Amino acid sequence: MKSRTVLFISLNLVFFLTYPNISWAQAPREETEKTAQHLATLLNVGRLIVERNQTLINDPGIGDKGFTPEVFEHEVVDEFIRQTTIDLKHLSSLPSLAKELLPMLLQSSKEVVADAQLVINQRGIGYKNFVPATFGSQAARKFSNRSYVKIKQTALNPRNLKNTPDAYEENVLKRLAMRPAVDTSITEWIDNGTTLRAMTPLYYLQDCLACHGKPRGILDISGYPREGAQEGDLAGAISIQIPVNKQ
Amino acid sequence: MRRLRHLLKEYGSQGMVPFLIAFGFFLQGCGLIFDAVELVHPLTRHELSVICSKGQVRVGISVEPSRPFVFPALYTDEGVRITGLDVELIREVADALTTYCGGQKPIVPTMHLTRFRDLFVAMNEGNLDIFVSSIGANIPGAVPVGLWYSTPYFHNGGIGAMIQKPDVAERVRAQFQKQAGDPDTLAAIQEGFSGLTVAAQSGRTSHLYAEANLKDIQLLICDSLPAAVETKDPHIDVILSKHSVLDYVTKHVWPDWHLLTRNDGTPLILTQESFSIVTVDENRRLQWFLNNLLYRLEESGRLEQMRRRWLKEDYAPTRRATTEGLPFEISKVPEHYDQGQCRFATGRRTGKTY
Repeated sequence: MKSRTVLFISLNLVFFLTYPNISWAQAPREETEKTAQHLATLLNVGRLIVERNQTLINDPGIGDKGFTPEVFEHEVVDEFIRQTTIDLKHLSSLPSLAKELLPMLLQSSKEVVADAQLVINQRGIGYKNFVPATFGSQAARKFSNRSYVKIKQTALNPRNLKNTPDAYEENVLKRLAMRPAVDTSITEWIDNGTTLRAMTPLYYLQDCLACHGKPRGILDISGYPREGAQEGDLAGAISIQIPVNKQ
Repeated sequence: MRRLRHLLKEYGSQGMVPFLIAFGFFLQGCGLIFDAVELVHPLTRHELSVICSKGQVRVGISVEPSRPFVFPALYTDEGVRITGLDVELIREVADALTTYCGGQKPIVPTMHLTRFRDLFVAMNEGNLDIFVSSIGANIPGAVPVGLWYSTPYFHNGGIGAMIQKPDVAERVRAQFQKQAGDPDTLAAIQEGFSGLTVAAQSGRTSHLYAEANLKDIQLLICDSLPAAVETKDPHIDVILSKHSVLDYVTKHVWPDWHLLTRNDGTPLILTQESFSIVTVDENRRLQWFLNNLLYRLEESGRLEQMRRRWLKEDYAPTRRATTEGLPFEISKVPEHYDQGQCRFATGRRTGKTY
C-alpha cells in the first residue's frame, strides 16, 4: 500500500512537472507557425494591392499617381482584415512574435513603395517593372535584412536567380507542383525542431498570364520568356524560416 | 597658440603692434615658401586623388530619358535602376578608376539624375566630377565656358527628324529631287520644313540646330522628347532629336512616329554630331584619364561592342536594368518628375501644359 502511494505520488509529480513544460514548448510552436502564416498572407496581400493598382501604376498619362506608401498601407490593412480578421493597427490580441514581426513586414513593404515613388510617378513612361514580383522580392529582402526571420519568394525556375530555391524549397515546390491547388501552407520543423520552415504556394491568376502565360518562350513586356502557364498552375511559393532559438 | 595668448596677456594690444609689423615682413615671403613646399609635397590634391580617397566618382546624368543611351528609371528586383549605353560607359569609367586607385576598394559611381539644363550648373558648382548624357560636343553653342569635352565615345551620331504624316517626308523629298543629283540637305530641310511646327528639346543640340538654321518654322521648345510626343495642341509636324534616339523610339516606343528618310530610304541626318564625356576645364588629370580610357576602349573594340549591343541588338531594357543597371541618388531627382511641357520659342505657351 505504501509503495503504491509512493508510485502514485511520483507519477502525479512527474505529470504536473512535465505538463506545463509540454504546454510551454507547444505554445511557441503554434505561435511561430501562426506567425509564419500571417507573414506569408501579409506579403501576398502587398502583392495583391500592387496588382490591383497595376493599371494606375503603368498609366503613362498620369504623373503623380497618388499611390503613396500611406495609400498602399491603408489598402493592405483593409485587405488583411478581410482575409484574416486581424487589424494590423490593433495587434494587442496577437502573440508577441506576430506583434513584433507583422508591423516590421508592413513597414518594409511601405518602404518599398516609398522607394519606388520616383519610378511610379514618371509620366510618359508606361511599363515600369513595378509589379507584384519585384515588389515582393524587395519587401521580403528588406524585412529579412532587419530580422532573424527570413522571407523569400521562390520558384522552381525563377526569373530572378536570387530567388532560386534551396534544397528544402525545391523539394517542397516539386511536391506542390504535383498536387491540385491548395490554400494551406506546408509547415515543418527541421534541425531537431529548432527551425520552422513554411512554404505558402502561389498560383497563377488570370492577370498573371499576360506575362507568364502562353505562348511559352515569347518575350513578355519585361523581356523575359513567358513560362506558358495556365490559370491555377503553381507559380512559386513564399518561403519563411523562423529559428526558435533566436526569438 | 598658448604662447600667443600669453604674449597678448603680457603686452596687451598696444604691445602687439610691433610684433604684428614684424610678422607682416615675414608674410611677404610666405608665397615663396608655400610654392617651395608645394614642389616637395603637394598640399592640394588633384581631382583623381580626391576620387581615390573618397572611393566615389560623382556622375551626372540627364533625368530626361534618351533611349538607348539612358532609359527611364525602372524598378527591378534590386531596387530602382537606370541603364543604357551611357550607363555602361560610366561603369567602364568607374572600373578604370578602381584600377587607377590601386584596386584595393572599388570606386563607386554615385549617380545624380537631374534635369539636363541643371547638369551644367551642378558641374560648375563642383557637385559633379563628370557627366555623361549623350552630350554633343561639336555643335556650335553646345560647349559652355569652363567645361571640357572628351574625345567622342559615339562618333556616328547626328541630328535626325521624326514625323507622323507622310506629306512632310514628301515635301522634303521633293526638294531633294529638285536638286537633281547635287544634294544639299540643309537647303532641302529649310524649304521642306518651311511653315511647319517643329519641336526640339530645350538646350539640346537639336534646339541649337533649329535656332541657327531653320528660320521659317514655328519652333516649339520642349522639356523632353516625351513632352513633344504628347503635345497635341499645337499639332507638331516634325520632332528633331538625336538620330540614334529617334531610330530607337520609332521602333520600340512610339510606332506612330517615323524616321524622316532620304529618297532612297536611308536615314536623313541633318548634321553630324559626336557624344563626349564632360568635366570642368581645370581637371587636367581627369581629362587625360578619360581620353586615354576612351582611346583604349576604342582600340580594344570594347566601345564598338557597347554601341552594337545597345543600338543594334534586340533586348529588353528591363532585364539589362536588373542585371547591369546602376542605382542612383533618389533624393537628388526632381520630386514627381514628369516629362515637362512645350512652349513656342518666342515664349508663348501652348494651349495645354504638359
